[in-house]
Amino acid sequence: MKVALLSESPADEAALRVLVEAVLSETIVLVQPGLRARGWPNVAQVLPAILRHLHFNTDAAGLVVVVDADDSVVHTAEHEAPGYFHPQCRLCQLRGIFRKTQKRFPPLHGRDRVLRAVGLAVPAIEAWYLCGQDVQVTELAWAEGQALGLAPYTRRELKWRVYGTDRPNLGFEIQRAVESVRRHRGDLRRLETDFPQGFGRMAHDLRDWRQTAPRE
Amino acid sequence: MLRSSGPMPAVAFAGEVCQPPDVIASVQFKHFKALRATSLRMEPFNLLIGPNGSGKTSLVQAFLRLRTLAARAPANGQSAAPPPPAVETPAPRRPNGVPEIIFRFPPPFADIEVHLGGHSEHRLDLLQVRHPPGGDAEARWEQLRTKLSGIRAYLFDHYAMAGPVAPADSGELASNGRNIAAVIAAMQAQPTPAFARLQAEFCRALPEFTGVVPRPAEAGGLELALRLKDGGELVAAENISQGALYTLAMLTLSFSPRPPTVLCLEEADRGVHPRLLREVRDALYRLSYPTSYGETREAVQIVATTHSPFLLDLFREHPEEIVIASKQGRSATFARLSDRPDAAEILAEGSLGDLWFSGILGGVPEE
Repeated sequence: MKVALLSESPADEAALRVLVEAVLSETIVLVQPGLRARGWPNVAQVLPAILRHLHFNTDAAGLVVVVDADDSVVHTAEHEAPGYFHPQCRLCQLRGIFRKTQKRFPPLHGRDRVLRAVGLAVPAIEAWYLCGQDVQVTELAWAEGQALGLAPYTRRELKWRVYGTDRPNLGFEIQRAVESVRRHRGDLRRLETDFPQGFGRMAHDLRDWRQTAPRE
Repeated sequence: MLRSSGPMPAVAFAGEVCQPPDVIASVQFKHFKALRATSLRMEPFNLLIGPNGSGKTSLVQAFLRLRTLAARAPANGQSAAPPPPAVETPAPRRPNGVPEIIFRFPPPFADIEVHLGGHSEHRLDLLQVRHPPGGDAEARWEQLRTKLSGIRAYLFDHYAMAGPVAPADSGELASNGRNIAAVIAAMQAQPTPAFARLQAEFCRALPEFTGVVPRPAEAGGLELALRLKDGGELVAAENISQGALYTLAMLTLSFSPRPPTVLCLEEADRGVHPRLLREVRDALYRLSYPTSYGETREAVQIVATTHSPFLLDLFREHPEEIVIASKQGRSATFARLSDRPDAAEILAEGSLGDLWFSGILGGVPEE
């Protein structure tokens, strides 16, 4: 399947590719490798142009976007209700951009639109890397901390736990990212259990692709 | 429903250690160029942003002057001024005041102060060292003076870097990088992995190359070439992009077995593609946080200046490392982003580079 990934760094992209292939159970062909955004809100700013480019200028079947939640509202099951949109939830916002941007696109390259898969790493992608290794790091733990106004950990601390420093060099960051997510390749249930909204929803989006994506 | 109410306070964690600055703890300016009355607490890594003429280069000049005058200072720590009077002597009144720069240092040098002064704000030629009496303090001043002799400032020049250089000119990288071929050749000749690591890091960052090759040039000199991945051809430095050469120069410093004690780098982003700025940051972090990179040498204190919002973006997690230089009229001041009471809220709102450009952080030109 031809897939584009929009991420914040080469490390994120490398990890995301492993996860996407694990969910789809197939090797993907990366369309336009190296699509980057400079964090939030830049992702939301560049996404319409990227969608337009992918739709008209490439034959990408789908686009996967993952953003860090940072301190923003965590996506919950409530947000999945039909017609619901939480204006401070980054996952809801990105889905809204997909919808609005592609609404008037004509069918092209054998598909109606570029398929959507959106993930929200709560609070940062390092939390996913720690899944299965650090039981304290889960979406629920973060959401409960948010409700109490006391974070159970910080983004910097997650970096320390993953890389042994909060200033990793890029080569090492890529290596650790890929090592971490490869542990889940065979069985994604733990990731989907510990990160049901941020990772689980993305995996759900990707599984839906199997029915609709054009094949080579 | 959960509501976002700004960044949450977090519990402390064991891994986070606050590394003190290694050489200079703070610097205070009085009537020095645009720095009329400001001070700066120094961190291990300091990224200065601000408009032109806001004192960023003046800070670097002050450090270089400290190095020069400290080298001339007598061992007993008294005035090193050629000729007297020292800074304490009343100077003739000038409308702009007498320039003075006061340096303070971290332990074990915390009881030593160095005052630079002069009769003109453009020329500082007086130095006074203040420390408690006694041999112990004098010995520590000697130790500190050795550290201060390792202050270096760099502003790379790709034309100079591309030229041939004498092989013997390999002691340390020149301030414009002109002897990079000799320095890399010397690293290559050493039985340490420094060259191999430098080459590997450079080729990872710029994957179109597979090798860094110092090679013989005319008249017994050395010149730099890079091996292309595609075809294996060697490309002479004069045909290599500015950004590739600057990145190589930063990595050369980063992997140097004897780096400076304080490294000042002007326009750290110059010539480098925004996506490669992460490599620049990493090269500098390798110097200032060596243990994070598996290095065993002493930390290098870094002062880097930039006008790039893209480089600034890479420091979002470390607002304590960002110094905003602001100018009002002819007077400039320094402030750390982390000292703003609303720093956490501001950082939650968007990219640091965009916020800087917007003007809410300060450090933008007057209009």
